[in-house]
Amino acid sequence: MIICRCEEVLLRDIITSIENGAETLKAIKMETRAGMGICQGRTCRVLLEQAIAPYTDITIQETNNIMYKNPVRPISLANLSRSGKDSSQ
Amino acid sequence: MKYDLVIIGAGPAGMCAAIQAASNGARVALVDENPVPGGKLRGQVYKEPKSDWWIGEKIVRSMESKIKQLGVTCFLEREVWGIYPKWKVMLNNGEQLESDFVLIATGAAEKAIPIPGWTTPGVMAIGAAQVLANIQRVKPGNRVAIIGIDALSLTIAYDLKMAGVNVVGIYLPPLNAFSLEKSNPLKMIAYLSSLSHLAPNPMLKLLGKLGQIESVQKLGVNYYPPFGMKVWGIPLHLRKAVVEIIGNEAVEEIVVAAVDQNGQLGRKQEKRIPVDCACISGGLYPLVELANAAGCESVYIEELGGHIPLYNEELETTQSGIFVAGNSTGIEGAKVAMAQGELVGTVISIRLGFVEGGPELIKKAKEKVNLERENAVIKFHPGLENGRAKLERLSRIRE
Repeated sequence: MIICRCEEVLLRDIITSIENGAETLKAIKMETRAGMGICQGRTCRVLLEQAIAPYTDITIQETNNIMYKNPVRPISLANLSRSGKDSSQ
Repeated sequence: MKYDLVIIGAGPAGMCAAIQAASNGARVALVDENPVPGGKLRGQVYKEPKSDWWIGEKIVRSMESKIKQLGVTCFLEREVWGIYPKWKVMLNNGEQLESDFVLIATGAAEKAIPIPGWTTPGVMAIGAAQVLANIQRVKPGNRVAIIGIDALSLTIAYDLKMAGVNVVGIYLPPLNAFSLEKSNPLKMIAYLSSLSHLAPNPMLKLLGKLGQIESVQKLGVNYYPPFGMKVWGIPLHLRKAVVEIIGNEAVEEIVVAAVDQNGQLGRKQEKRIPVDCACISGGLYPLVELANAAGCESVYIEELGGHIPLYNEELETTQSGIFVAGNSTGIEGAKVAMAQGELVGTVISIRLGFVEGGPELIKKAKEKVNLERENAVIKFHPGLENGRAKLERLSRIRE
């Protein structure tokens, strides 16, 4: 069963990752690429929090320690390089 | 460009804040990713318990014309990808909006409940079905199954029925790590009973009454008819779960299995039902990514939908100048969102020195939020009051 649609990561990939020692959402993300696709975890982040809870000591309450980082939405490199340059009116 | 206030999200909260601040004289920028403002309010249509119809589209149109009159600068079809100190709001076309005050009114996203086959084309979140039917005026399918029982899915089942869709049934999700209480028939009966008798459609109203009697709660589950109970011509199944969604290019069938009163699968045979669309309702969670990335502290309060930015009575986050309103503060209805937007618009107008008599105006705006909360026709989470009390406690500790 797919958990991360963007990167096509299966529930069993995530469980295997946890069984191999991944203890945090970040570790799972780094190993499986879950949450690293175009939607940046908007669908699977909540699911990953739920999936990891029974296997680790991390409660869902603490998972917000994993910070979101800019850019929170996809942006082209061309537009990113223009950012801020047209603000000098 | 420099503004007095930049608002991210032109839903009910964002629009109301824009109107409030602009009518006090503030220069306001309003950003939304959609081509038209209104957010999910545009999909809401229901009969008010004591008065007329609540037609979201109409309310949006009148707010839109006010926004134009007041000269609010709208940035539509623009996504905000970050907020930098203090404060620069970055748009995805490279533009940058500067302001001392930012309102994050980005609303909520839907929680998925993974079921084998849930990524097949034709499977969608329940909110997407509402957008299709009520806003785009397109049927999401001809034979639609709904998976997940809650205020939102029951309301949208009714909307779909009204749109001429054959809703083949409302089912439980299967018991797994993601469905939790939503797969439990006993918990669902208790949940149905908690739905207010003021609920805005006949389906919710009837269900609310049914569940209220405790003996019915127990009997209802044990002797629940295997063919479901028809409410408004839609079979509601409290003892059946959709265990798989089947289809190659698109959804063709759902696989349905009987469950016991705790949601465990029985040994009975599974049944296949042909459908061309399946809608999954896993509930809503506040979108907090921008607030979090801007350094706002967040807290986890299940009753409010999960992780939310910590905010005070004036809806300001722990980053001074960044405010939240609407579903970003916790999952509640549009009327609460609108009152919260007005409150933020008022608070910021006072801080900017545009209006006098601050404390009295703020008190009034706060009272309006509380009044809308008390009169709300649907409480998305039965423990909402509890969740709000937790938040207020955490906010006081922080201060």
